[in-house]
Amino acid sequence: MFEELLEDIAQKNGLREVNTYLKLATGLGAIILCLLSTSYLPPLVIALVLTGSILLLARVDAKTYAGLFIVPVWFALFSVAGIILISGGQEVFWRWNPFSWLSLSITRESINSGFLVFCRVMGGMSAMCFIALTTPMTDIFIVLRRCGIPDIILDLAMIIYRTIFIIMDQVKQIHAAQVMRLGYSTVRESIYSFASMSGAVFIASWDAGDDLIRAMDARCYDGKFALLGETRPVEYMPLAATTVFLALSCAVVIFSGDITLI
Amino acid sequence: MSSIILEARDIRYRYPRGMEAVCGISFHIRKGEKIALVGPNGAGKSTLLMMLNGMIRPDSGMLLFDNEPIRYDTTSLRMLRKRVGFVLQNPDRQIIAPTVYQDVAFGPTNLGYHETDVKEAVALALRHVGLEGFERRPPHQLSGGEKKRVAIAGVLAMDPDVLVFDEPTGGLDPSGSEDIMELLDELNHEGKTVIISTHDVELAYPWADRAILLLAGTILREDVPEVAFGDPEFVRTAHLSLPTLLELYIELQKRGFPLPEKKPLTVLDMMHIIEPLFQTTCSQAGPGTITVCNVDKDNREALSAWLLARPKLPVGAMGTRAKQRASSEHIPLDFTYGVIDKCILKALLGDDTLILTTESMVERVYMRVDAYSKESGIHITVNLVAPTTGRATDESGRQP
Repeated sequence: MFEELLEDIAQKNGLREVNTYLKLATGLGAIILCLLSTSYLPPLVIALVLTGSILLLARVDAKTYAGLFIVPVWFALFSVAGIILISGGQEVFWRWNPFSWLSLSITRESINSGFLVFCRVMGGMSAMCFIALTTPMTDIFIVLRRCGIPDIILDLAMIIYRTIFIIMDQVKQIHAAQVMRLGYSTVRESIYSFASMSGAVFIASWDAGDDLIRAMDARCYDGKFALLGETRPVEYMPLAATTVFLALSCAVVIFSGDITLI
Repeated sequence: MSSIILEARDIRYRYPRGMEAVCGISFHIRKGEKIALVGPNGAGKSTLLMMLNGMIRPDSGMLLFDNEPIRYDTTSLRMLRKRVGFVLQNPDRQIIAPTVYQDVAFGPTNLGYHETDVKEAVALALRHVGLEGFERRPPHQLSGGEKKRVAIAGVLAMDPDVLVFDEPTGGLDPSGSEDIMELLDELNHEGKTVIISTHDVELAYPWADRAILLLAGTILREDVPEVAFGDPEFVRTAHLSLPTLLELYIELQKRGFPLPEKKPLTVLDMMHIIEPLFQTTCSQAGPGTITVCNVDKDNREALSAWLLARPKLPVGAMGTRAKQRASSEHIPLDFTYGVIDKCILKALLGDDTLILTTESMVERVYMRVDAYSKESGIHITVNLVAPTTGRATDESGRQP
């Protein structure tokens, strides 16, 4: 399943051993710069650089990476179409008033702002993907603890993370058992099967909760969750690469100013 | 005889609104014993095991640990659970944390160890089960056997005296099962008392010091495996099957062959029984020698030179570190389970063999071979690969 796939890629990617802070700084910095930028150019540059590093440095399969973009790109295209048609402007290329209360128009300004939004989505998505594909959740837990997130929230998060995969396994098994007995052959049957699967998984997770408490008790649980292992040291090359990337991106944001598409 | 570590006196337990799972059981377990609780599904094995570390409190009767009655207040239970480690059948239910390191560190952290001690305990436990370098891996990416090892490491990190395993080989492939059983042997050899529950008779029969046959919450029989499994009638009542070796022995006996009193536990024992019947020993050229290599000593070069001089020599590995060493040096292994016996069998055929093993197990090879030599009257020489010279030196004085 998809979530497992992402986490699996993150566990094995080429940038796995790079310091987590550097990777997070790159991803979060890129997102902030995409939002600050008033021109379409910086988000595009960021998207290109990060995509390049995801494909070449982290060695993520290009097809998998492209697959991640399908849904957001469609979503972005519809939103951008809406922005272009609805937001007005001075220099009108095309106008249509189907009703007295609705006026659709395409203007220079609306095209520019639509394209800017689209580029921001692409830049932001690639930055998100960069974090998701290079930094496994287990490393992010370490950072979260350093950031002073309360232990109770983190402990819960870690148990939830661990449990997701166990419950997902059960979902897969029940789903397979239902498919084998033609549980999804008709719409009616599908609804029924899905409902019974949800019920079964709910009960199974309840059981898993009981077992979890028992397993913790058996190992002398005293309200403490194990301390987390240390992160990887900051190395010279990744530090330099991150600095150069963020500095260049800042420069592009500043110097591109208000450059617009048309 | 060593002292008693666990004792049950007429314990009973009934599940809420259910049937009586344990109906008046009494037994004792000595320090350093290997005990197999054998019985069909629903015999009360798991329930009984859960009582040993206080997870379930018996309705009546008394459980004693180290000759003290088990008390059920929080502090006493913590102490008990530190000393009696419990490994569940399903490792997914036992592994709590998102990474291997965190999971193994769970016990020591909760016992209040200092951070450096936790690290040390985790490193030691992972080394023990052969999972070094797995610290940062998430459990869901591991194979069934690896998960089982993580679960065992999690318990070992607390350094318990008694290890309780519910179906240790459940869901594992044959080679994975053999590895786990070998690990249990290794742990037992280091002085830990090991208790397992299983319905796999073939597995329990050669392994256990004592077997306890359970049926419907009562003890059907409690004895050394040859006796406990020796009566076909009992075994049938317990919904189990006779171990193949024992069945063969009984069949031979029925046909009027003169057999020794001692029943065979292993294939080696069986060979010892059968060979005189045919009055031919295959080892016309005299028995081969067994060479032992201690992988904990720095004898890398000596070993490879020694092996180079003897191509196609059958090699066995005992213990996790020995197996790791073999795989890191690309030494193909012929035996990974029941290694000593298989090497003696080879020696009887006149072939030489090599056993890679860890420091603590070297002595065991000598003991087993000596015991066999005494019993059978066939002398088999055991050598040690010398750490520096590369020549096998005969450990004289060990010959019976």
